[in-house]
Amino acid sequence: MPYERQINTNEASGISGASCVAHGAGLPFYQLTLWPYRSLPRRGFVWFIGITATLICIPLLALLGTRYLWFMLPFLAAAVAAIWYFLERSYKDGDILETLRIWSDHIELTRQNPRSKSQHWSANPYWVSVHLHPNSGPVENYLTLRGGEREVEIGAFLTPKERQTLMAEIQSALAQIPK
Amino acid sequence: MADAATHSHDGHAKKGFFTRWFMSTNHKDIGILYLFTAGAVGFISVLFTVYMRLELMEPGVQYMCLEGARFIADSAAECTPNGHLWNVMITYHGVLMMFFVVIPALFGGFGNYFMPLHIGAPDMAFPRMNNLSFWMYVAGTSLGVASLLAPGGNGQSGSGVGWVLYPPLSTTEAGISMDLAIFAVHLSGASSILGAINMITTFLNMRTPGMTLFKVPLFAWSIFITAWLILLSLPVLAGGITMLLTDRNFGTTFFDPAGGGDPILYQHILWFFGHPEVYMIILPGFGIISHVIATFSRKPVFGYLPMVWALVAIGVLGFVVWAHHMYTVGMSLSQQSYFMLATMVIAVPTGVKIFSWIATMWKGSVSFETPMLFAIGFLFLFTVGGVTGVVLSQPGLDRAYHDTYYVVAHFHYVMSLGAAFAIFAGMYFWIGKMSGRQYPEWAGKLHFWAFFIGTNLTFFPQHFLGRQGMPRRYIEYPEAYAYWNYLSSWGAFLSFASFVFFIGIVFYTLRFGKRITEDNYWNEYADTLEWTLPTPPPEHTFEILAKQEEWDKLHNH
Repeated sequence: MPYERQINTNEASGISGASCVAHGAGLPFYQLTLWPYRSLPRRGFVWFIGITATLICIPLLALLGTRYLWFMLPFLAAAVAAIWYFLERSYKDGDILETLRIWSDHIELTRQNPRSKSQHWSANPYWVSVHLHPNSGPVENYLTLRGGEREVEIGAFLTPKERQTLMAEIQSALAQIPK
Repeated sequence: MADAATHSHDGHAKKGFFTRWFMSTNHKDIGILYLFTAGAVGFISVLFTVYMRLELMEPGVQYMCLEGARFIADSAAECTPNGHLWNVMITYHGVLMMFFVVIPALFGGFGNYFMPLHIGAPDMAFPRMNNLSFWMYVAGTSLGVASLLAPGGNGQSGSGVGWVLYPPLSTTEAGISMDLAIFAVHLSGASSILGAINMITTFLNMRTPGMTLFKVPLFAWSIFITAWLILLSLPVLAGGITMLLTDRNFGTTFFDPAGGGDPILYQHILWFFGHPEVYMIILPGFGIISHVIATFSRKPVFGYLPMVWALVAIGVLGFVVWAHHMYTVGMSLSQQSYFMLATMVIAVPTGVKIFSWIATMWKGSVSFETPMLFAIGFLFLFTVGGVTGVVLSQPGLDRAYHDTYYVVAHFHYVMSLGAAFAIFAGMYFWIGKMSGRQYPEWAGKLHFWAFFIGTNLTFFPQHFLGRQGMPRRYIEYPEAYAYWNYLSSWGAFLSFASFVFFIGIVFYTLRFGKRITEDNYWNEYADTLEWTLPTPPPEHTFEILAKQEEWDKLHNH
């Protein structure tokens, strides 16, 4: 499951620590980041471009030192550039980052979108509840947060099973908020 | 984060015909478009062959006359042989088949439809670019047909230079037909490159969680390797034919010895693309055959990992053997030795595949539904073509066989009988999944037997003609070659009849075929992800990520 969690129990339990101050000042007690799964690791990208660039140069060997080289080169370079650009674009399309941060009196969810403005939602954790919609949502096990001015989704890009785990995770975090 | 969207799903209105088929960004619809278009172009291209076999049925020229092309021989009327028309026929048969029929059907059609399904992706990585690829292919086809009808050499329409477009023939052919043909290849190349980029990105970056590279089904692997070959070799062809274009129109002398150019270099460029091209044609076929054989042997495919590595090896080796198409241009002894040995090495990974398929059937519970018949036909005939390929890989023997009908028989065995059998195997295997209706089994079997006998009757005698020394690309031949040519022509007519029958089967199935209700109408060894979907699949698939237990059957390893 592509997520990263961070729990700062010590910080948050401080009675007058900045960590408990409202509106996101100081370290949050709990932080969770989620992003969609991409099957090509960066290392794989490097290998792929490397092998492609090497193989595509084979025909150039025969053209070294002739004028044909300069005619052929742009075509080959364009092909490598194109696959590079489109792989990057595909990474960019999946460049969604959802960050859930919980302080003792404040909860905040931010979603960075690939090409549009990022979206924000915040509420008082006391009123927040997590809801799982097994079949009524756009995806199986649709997960939403209620308690702010509007209901919001979280982790819609994960697998149904992952969202189930995620729900338990968020619920237990909410239950453990230091008062 | 988006606002929650409970209860507001499925807001799609039903799409109109025009919106669905002309503005489609859905990989399944685009796949079907590719299949139908390739089928239509294939029909045109096959018509040419029937006309050519008609002409070759008897020695002398009876049909392709300067006085006008005929369809009924008339010994009373005068007939001056029209070599240009003949050359045009062989050229456009080749160009259409190589660029506009087989690759679009296997790679564009089945690849688009089933590769994303096999890896559990909701669609291609770039759906709108997918639409662009398809329409560029249609535009390229139109240019190809326009080139056939436009004014060309010898004061007639069309160009008769052969699909390889060798200079100086192609640089001196009169008229605009040749330029249109070059544009057609350009467009189809651009379409294929965009399509390949799309497939590569989808395959690399959109596999469902948990599906590591060596858990990907073989068909998706074969499409990926094909896409990679396209990406690596089509830019080379684009460069080469652009040089042809400037030679023709802007007075450059890339391939003109009078200006310091080198016509042989064009052959190197062409075959650097051309040899990988034949693997682009056959590799998706390998993928389809693997699934068909496993399904109807009721066994997981034998040796998954070697099968994948054989695909990769065939792809890589395909780049370093191109000059075996041109042993006769005057290469040094060591160059010829190298190309011979490199070519023979390809038999190793190919053998791994052939034996793995046989081992898959070994002690399996084999049943002979139509797709399996085509798969076994493929296995047998592709091997025959492969064996004559090993014969031709030897420069000494190639000198005797070069440009004879032996070569024609060889490459039709691997492509017409190999790739075409794979296309039909895929059609019968998946038509139920794609349309929700099943073909009539007896009709499929009849089609198989007619096609199997027809194609073998067409091409097997051509080995004998080649050994007798009959050269390719001639409109007529001496009396001595008459016997086998006559037989070969009857084979071609039978194959054509079976193709027409197949078109009938497709339309019958789409309209009246028996409705299928199960998700998986074969058996549990059809275990890729498309068989977990309803039949036919809904418009949107795997927007919810697929579960690992649906595709990871473990017995692959």
